[in-house]
Amino acid sequence: MNNFGVIEIASTTTKSTPGWAYVPDTAPALPAAVHSTSRKRAARNQPALTLSDLSAREETRIRKELEALDRDNPKDVNIPIPPRPGGGSRAQNKHTPNVRKILQSQKSFANHLDDYQAMLALAESNPAAAAALNAAQAKPSTPTTAVSKSASPAPTPASAGGASKRSAAAAKRAAAKEKQEQERKKAQHTPKPETESEKLGSTPPQQAPQRQQQEGDNDVEMSDATASTAQPPPTAPAAQISYPRVSAILPAYAKPPPAAHPGDADPLLVSRVPAFPSDDELRALMTAPPLSYLEARGAWGEEERRYPVRVFCAVCGYWGRVKCMKCGTRVCALDCLEAHREECVTRYGL
Amino acid sequence: MPASRKSRATGPPPPSTTLVLDNGADTIKAGFVTGGKADDAPRIIPNCLARDRHRKTYVGSELEKCRDFGEMAFRRPVEKGFIVNWEAQKEIWDREFFDENAPQKCDPSEARLVLAEQPNGLPALQTHCDQMVFEEFGFASYYRGIGPSFNAYRDIQAIFHTPRTPDTPVDVPAEVILLIDSGYSHTTVTPILQGRPLHPAIRRLDVGGKFMTNYLTRLLSVRHFDMRNETFIANEMKEAVCYVSLDFKGDLEKTWKGTRGERREDFVSGAGIAKDYVLPDSHTTFHGVVRDYDPGGASSRGRKAAVSTEDVLTLRNERFVVPELLFNPSDVGLSQPGLADLVMQSLSVLPIGLWPGLLANIVVVGGNARLENFIQRLQMELLERVPDECVVRVACPENPVISTWLGAANFARHEHVERLAVTKQEYEEYGAGWVARRFSAGLGVDT
Ligand SMILES: [Zn+2]
Ligand SMILES: [Zn+2]
Repeated sequence: MNNFGVIEIASTTTKSTPGWAYVPDTAPALPAAVHSTSRKRAARNQPALTLSDLSAREETRIRKELEALDRDNPKDVNIPIPPRPGGGSRAQNKHTPNVRKILQSQKSFANHLDDYQAMLALAESNPAAAAALNAAQAKPSTPTTAVSKSASPAPTPASAGGASKRSAAAAKRAAAKEKQEQERKKAQHTPKPETESEKLGSTPPQQAPQRQQQEGDNDVEMSDATASTAQPPPTAPAAQISYPRVSAILPAYAKPPPAAHPGDADPLLVSRVPAFPSDDELRALMTAPPLSYLEARGAWGEEERRYPVRVFCAVCGYWGRVKCMKCGTRVCALDCLEAHREECVTRYGL
Repeated sequence: MPASRKSRATGPPPPSTTLVLDNGADTIKAGFVTGGKADDAPRIIPNCLARDRHRKTYVGSELEKCRDFGEMAFRRPVEKGFIVNWEAQKEIWDREFFDENAPQKCDPSEARLVLAEQPNGLPALQTHCDQMVFEEFGFASYYRGIGPSFNAYRDIQAIFHTPRTPDTPVDVPAEVILLIDSGYSHTTVTPILQGRPLHPAIRRLDVGGKFMTNYLTRLLSVRHFDMRNETFIANEMKEAVCYVSLDFKGDLEKTWKGTRGERREDFVSGAGIAKDYVLPDSHTTFHGVVRDYDPGGASSRGRKAAVSTEDVLTLRNERFVVPELLFNPSDVGLSQPGLADLVMQSLSVLPIGLWPGLLANIVVVGGNARLENFIQRLQMELLERVPDECVVRVACPENPVISTWLGAANFARHEHVERLAVTKQEYEEYGAGWVARRFSAGLGVDT
């Protein structure tokens, strides 16, 4: 009986066969069990791996496997840009300095991510410098965008040259208008969107100044937005002016839904939920800034971490009920263990 | 909703032509909106430089001319969903859109660009993109927005086949959707209210088409032939045979050969799961072919096909353990929640009052949405996780690959584009930082 490298894993539902064991498929490597069994193996005069050796091998294997799954090609390839069909080539000398830099960059996504994380870390460790650094990173192009006509680096209203007066005035106007709006809304209170919004949306004379206000406002508002994360109210004046206005952010949900969707047979009756978020809550959500790349990555919480992960036979893909003690690889049964042995010996020696 | 075109306060009127690009890692979806009318469908362009075993290089749509995809190697300008290598991206864009004989010739100085990007991009890469668009290509007007949000500009209730009378107005953008985009690089979950993404709730699972193809390649290489240099062929195989299991344990049981010597009945018969796949021979055939499983054929020997000029693989659990990674990424040691848990994580940062609307309007787009049973499995798993009275509706548009483009084309005709797009003059006046902040601030709220 070949029982090469098998670890018996203690379990109440074990169906014993000489030398190896079936165990419930949900069992992850339980540290205690592995430890005790490897001592058992040691007692049988086998070269025993310590727990840390074993888990280090497993970790390394998984990490390498995940890296391989993430690649575009099995190995690094270098495919240069081929010459143009017909021998033609575009003039290469017209690039701006920004463009030249971008085209020459050989950075990978991982490099860019590292740069970004390093910037965040630095900002955190040195809060004094954080603001300046943040600003520089939020508009990394500023030193070089000077190729454009405007020499002003920061697009704040004050520095935006001719735009400054316009922006300031627009901001004032918008703020006043916002106040008016709020008062009017309070007075109205109930949703009455259709007629009013239509009127506003199709009134051409109003639109020209509106556009200006929007731009000016965005200037003002955005410099705020970079400083603090969620600051929804300032966005309102910018957006409200040129867009059909409604008195609630999600008007359909404020109405009795069945009437609003006469043809909708689906029981999508949101009104059944009592705690519909307030407009303030919605506004905050709808104007919150994007998360960073890593913040958005789905991650396990404490709870998920405790769940056992499923393990599979590395050879045939069935449940991995048996564990190779040399490398921690799981296999389903003896057939596959033998197949694994070949590879295992090649990789780790006898 | 009719697009209301507005004249801008300053400068010339907006360009009448918009180039709409969904610039994916695997393919570019490209088409025009001209004078308020959009192309029916985008052209789909491989977004890569590909080199075959005879060391001939194909750029973008030239790949159509390639017949033999054996040992094909790829260089992709888009990495992790984001344009990283502009040397390659520019070459492809030039040939497809800007060169004299480009198949979709476009004069940027008289056009607007609407470009879909992935959520949660790196600021430096976004700035590179904006700089290239204005300083190198010289578009007159430009908007860069996240792909999921563009889907809100489609007729979402039509995708759900919601019954309605012909005169029911179509809400564009849709009031509420939960958009799942599962593409080449990854899978994202984005709740969207009236076209505005709820940024704090956007979540990403780093499993996409590439990851799954590589996994299939690995399984085949362990069990059958060394396929490690045959990514293209493995990808075709994945698209042809893989499905999302609705009973993973049961399917796994049916495809197990058994213990030593034993060959279980289901294994021998194939149990309706096993399929034979004939690999291309690269002489007379260049694409693989799926066949019904022949129990008398390659079955019992397992490893190598019978003596024949054909290379036939019998695929069993490979068919469903590969897409299973979307729902159980920990199966390969990736410590991330599966898609249903990811949706729940996204919802968990939102007020509970929004859950019913979002759960009843889940739309899945991207190439992986074509995997059989994808939406059924997602719905099944979500129902296990939400309160009993919650309705869970999951839908996939007819062609999920071009959905983002179709949405972006609708957006390009919607008045929202006028509020969001930036002109070249504005870029030159206010700089790239201003443009980036403006795009990231989005529409704001209309009340
Ligand atoms: Zn096995
Ligand atoms: Zn081993």
